[in-house]
Amino acid sequence: MVDLSVKIAGLVLKNPVLVASGTFGYGHESESLVDLQKLGGIVTKSVTLKRRDGNPPPRICELPAGMLNSIGLANVGVRAFIAEKLPYLRSVDTAIIVNVAGSTVDEYVEVVGMLEEEEGIDAYELNFSCPNVKEGGLEFSQNAQVTAEATRLVRDVTARPLIVKLTPNVTRVGEIAQAAADGGADAVSLINTLVGLAVDVETRRPKIYTGAGGYSGPAIKPVALAKVFEVANQVDIPIIGIGGIMNLNDALEFLITGASAVQVGTANFVDPATGERIATELRDHCQRNGIAAMAELVRSLLPWDDAK
Amino acid sequence: MTTPYSAYKKKIHTCPVISNTNLVGEIYLMRLACPDISAFSLAGQFVNVKVNDEVIPLLRKPFSVCRRSSAEGWFEVLWKVVGKGTKIMADLRAGDSVSVVGPLGRGFRTAPKSGMALLVAGGIGVAPFPFLCEQLLAEGVEVEIFLGAQSTADLAMVDVFAEAGVPVTIATEDGSTGHRGLVTESLLKRLSSVADMAGVHLFSCGPTGFLKAMTAISEECKVEGQVAIETMMGCGFGICVGCPVRVRNPRAGEKLYKLSCIDGPVFGTREICLDG
Repeated sequence: MVDLSVKIAGLVLKNPVLVASGTFGYGHESESLVDLQKLGGIVTKSVTLKRRDGNPPPRICELPAGMLNSIGLANVGVRAFIAEKLPYLRSVDTAIIVNVAGSTVDEYVEVVGMLEEEEGIDAYELNFSCPNVKEGGLEFSQNAQVTAEATRLVRDVTARPLIVKLTPNVTRVGEIAQAAADGGADAVSLINTLVGLAVDVETRRPKIYTGAGGYSGPAIKPVALAKVFEVANQVDIPIIGIGGIMNLNDALEFLITGASAVQVGTANFVDPATGERIATELRDHCQRNGIAAMAELVRSLLPWDDAK
Repeated sequence: MTTPYSAYKKKIHTCPVISNTNLVGEIYLMRLACPDISAFSLAGQFVNVKVNDEVIPLLRKPFSVCRRSSAEGWFEVLWKVVGKGTKIMADLRAGDSVSVVGPLGRGFRTAPKSGMALLVAGGIGVAPFPFLCEQLLAEGVEVEIFLGAQSTADLAMVDVFAEAGVPVTIATEDGSTGHRGLVTESLLKRLSSVADMAGVHLFSCGPTGFLKAMTAISEECKVEGQVAIETMMGCGFGICVGCPVRVRNPRAGEKLYKLSCIDGPVFGTREICLDG
């Protein structure tokens, strides 16, 4: 019997396959397309203090093996999230991780403070790394000191598991991950999107309204794996791997490299059941290979030296 | 009146290709087998197609349901080859199959048994109209079709409307068929002969510039209208939030974003703000 469960701080996941923030709405949108309770967890669309209308169109464009987006954290706001979205999420038998975003540290603290009053939230993921809003977001996770301070201030208002989501758009992601750990984060998730830009040569305009946006999809997987590798070698807290996961093989690469769990993102736009399928296939894979628990897979990457 | 929204819950279907025909120029019509989509889709709704199992192209592409037969269990999509995905679709043959999510979005509102409907298409925007035309005729509405295109090689489905006994007016920019010029010119001429606009309804689909002209005509001529917009979509069912359109909030007068995929692709001409 294979045990797919993983424990990240106080957060127990029935399996290590989650769906990433901003790629799964608030869950209900996909209920006829996927068996939600087969997922290890759902990370919600980012929630901010006030509702956000988002950026003007065009917000997305397709690129080879990926896409560029600049949604601008469009969301219903924390009050409407609690009133309209949380009741449904609560009814789903899986871990509910609320992704929180803001322009200032105070906003993160205030949003988490409001969510603290609510039952049915298993963890928070702090989006310190959105490339598509003018203030906040990316600035937080590009600076180790700010990351540590912001994490600490949120840590002070909640005992729930706290995950800090990191950007790859830094020189040394390991230092930022360490800062999140120092600030009291229970885990880090990475990578958020890579900052990218595409141009329409006919109109000479960027393909999305904001110019640069976030590059995601299978094309970014090697970059994501390298960042997970770097963080795994530097910090002790669990890592949730994200970046271009389309299938079981991709998920296994992240687990072996050092992730305790993974999030499926862009693939959900093509098929929201991707995560469900990976979880099922992971069980089969473990059974076939005599893997009894996830601990046997996680951080099992072998150096070439051993082969000599 | 609320916009129709199929009670059927969207699913991912593997649809065998029944036939794939190059109608004219770069325009193709593909018939796909799917009892659910043929039975439950509404005129103006769309399906989102993954053309192959590769990561290039990565995303699904949206197509209007062009025609469907619930009795025979098929539906059709009509498209023009514009890029990689549409070219791959053009090369599909009977016996191949594609992954289709649908039916998606909100369709056209129709008012049964009354008045006259003018269906105005810009280019490949004709795609949802065979289905809509059939539905309107069944409801006892008088239908006329106006097709605008660059050239004769961009005109499709003319015979389908003609066979249904519906008057078709054509305008091409190069004058190769029908009126030389814009289809909106042909439409304005037709509207000038209408005594009472109260029973007239304009349905349009096509590129944004054309739809802007159609919303202006609706306003100037005081004719009720609906537009079906063509836009890039990431997912087609509301999770990527990548396909916003500006609409007026009737209560506060302010503008807000709605999503083409779940709030549209059909919007009222008074509601939508195509100027941003």
